Amino acid sequence: MLGAFVRAFRTPELRNKLLFTLFILTIFRLGAVIPAPGIDSVAIEKCVQQTAETGASNIYALINLFSGGALLQLAVFALGIMPYITASIILNLLTVVVPRLEALKKEGQAGQSKITQYTRYLTIALAVLQSTSVIAMARTGQLFQNACIPEEYMPFLHTSYELPVLIMIVFVMTAGTCVIMWFGELITERGVGNGMSLLIFTQIIAEFPAGMMRIWSENPAWVFALVCVAGVVLITGVVFIEQAQRRIPVQYAKRMVGRRMYGGSSTYIPLKVNQAGVIPVIFASSLLYLPTLVVGLLGAETDNKVVDFLNTYFNPMGNHPVYLTTFFLLIVGFAFFYVAITFNPAEVADNMKKYGGFIPSIRPGRPTAEYLDYVLTRLTTPGALYLGVIALLPMVALGTSGAAANFPFGGVSILIMVGVGLDTVKQIESHLQQRNYEGFLR
Amino acid sequence: MIIVGLSIALMVVSVLMIMLVLLHKGKGGGLSDLFGGGVTSSLGGSSVVQRNLDRLTIATGLVWIVGIVALGLLILRQG
Repeated sequence: MLGAFVRAFRTPELRNKLLFTLFILTIFRLGAVIPAPGIDSVAIEKCVQQTAETGASNIYALINLFSGGALLQLAVFALGIMPYITASIILNLLTVVVPRLEALKKEGQAGQSKITQYTRYLTIALAVLQSTSVIAMARTGQLFQNACIPEEYMPFLHTSYELPVLIMIVFVMTAGTCVIMWFGELITERGVGNGMSLLIFTQIIAEFPAGMMRIWSENPAWVFALVCVAGVVLITGVVFIEQAQRRIPVQYAKRMVGRRMYGGSSTYIPLKVNQAGVIPVIFASSLLYLPTLVVGLLGAETDNKVVDFLNTYFNPMGNHPVYLTTFFLLIVGFAFFYVAITFNPAEVADNMKKYGGFIPSIRPGRPTAEYLDYVLTRLTTPGALYLGVIALLPMVALGTSGAAANFPFGGVSILIMVGVGLDTVKQIESHLQQRNYEGFLR
Repeated sequence: MIIVGLSIALMVVSVLMIMLVLLHKGKGGGLSDLFGGGVTSSLGGSSVVQRNLDRLTIATGLVWIVGIVALGLLILRQG
């Protein structure tokens, strides 16, 4: 294992990629700590603690987790990667609905980059919206459940330059989101792993030690030990299922092309139990975060019917059965949806037929496609249920204490941590294997 | 007054930053590669234009972050 690390750093190409990724992630974390201009970082730190001590269930805790604690500190990178993810989800869903986008997607590379460009525009728009709502909530003190006075952490309030400074903060946060987007693309392009998911990974990991410390200081030692054991068990289980796959045997017929012999080998198509990865979870949680955004925009204190409804049923901290059920159903639905988008049985069957391959005892062509579809559906059913259960488990287990989102081994964060971690290690490994054969995973 | 002036300057720099990032070719965006596999790593180096754009973006970014810190200190000093 350690030898593999040494080898990874001995390979110059891989070393550069790893160092580049680490460098970008470092800058990213730095930006998540630098407060936006005009924000008193010391006072705001105190505010966050006060809010935590009053025990007020903070509806922004989940978003805060996704932004690595940057949101509640009103940092330059306060919004984190969330707007980009939301934008990609929206466009991805629209691709299914809007014919023009579908045509673009089928165009291949050129069309895809156009869709990417749309995603980026939408990201900026969402960033403007979100930063405005965050600043508005911070100004009224609602961001901290009125636990402390806004003038403390925003010393420029009630001065002659209040308005320009507020607008400037919105601009800075929007630009910050844009920079994060660029970072993600840079990592994907020149670094290791997928930029977007690595950035989420970093943000969740960044909150991890603080969460553990909180559990350590607030509970007796045996609770801490129990949490650790539960975490290890959960991680093992998640890794186990993430790696699980069904191998469908494929036999290739021997062919003579000129004087050379091709095919004649038997391989397999690996179908993962959880083909969709962590995407459904990320999708579902960012969709469910929209109600919070609406509440933020409308203001939580009004007697508006909509706000009331959302606060009762869709409060991420409330653990209302309606919220949990919606979350579960969304995850399961997205899992199926995603598998359907990413794996097209008809296409795979077609390709196999073209190269003279077949699944033993199944005829090539349409029957093969039907068979693949059948297997995939049966595989995805437990996969989707597993995703839903893991994501909900801590929320249900910890019950109404409201600690679920602060729990470092929360279902969403554990799925993202393990999923992204495995993906990245696999990519590093494939780089390693270009040079020598032994990697991290045996 | 200097705060208002600097705020406006920082807004301009922020907009510039957004423009510069948007000018980059959106590689590795979208969800197509969020789900792991798919087409990995583009081949080849970057063109001269792309490299200059990178440099310009980094320079602007430095100005941007220095501006943020400086303005932040200034406002806190005043308040």
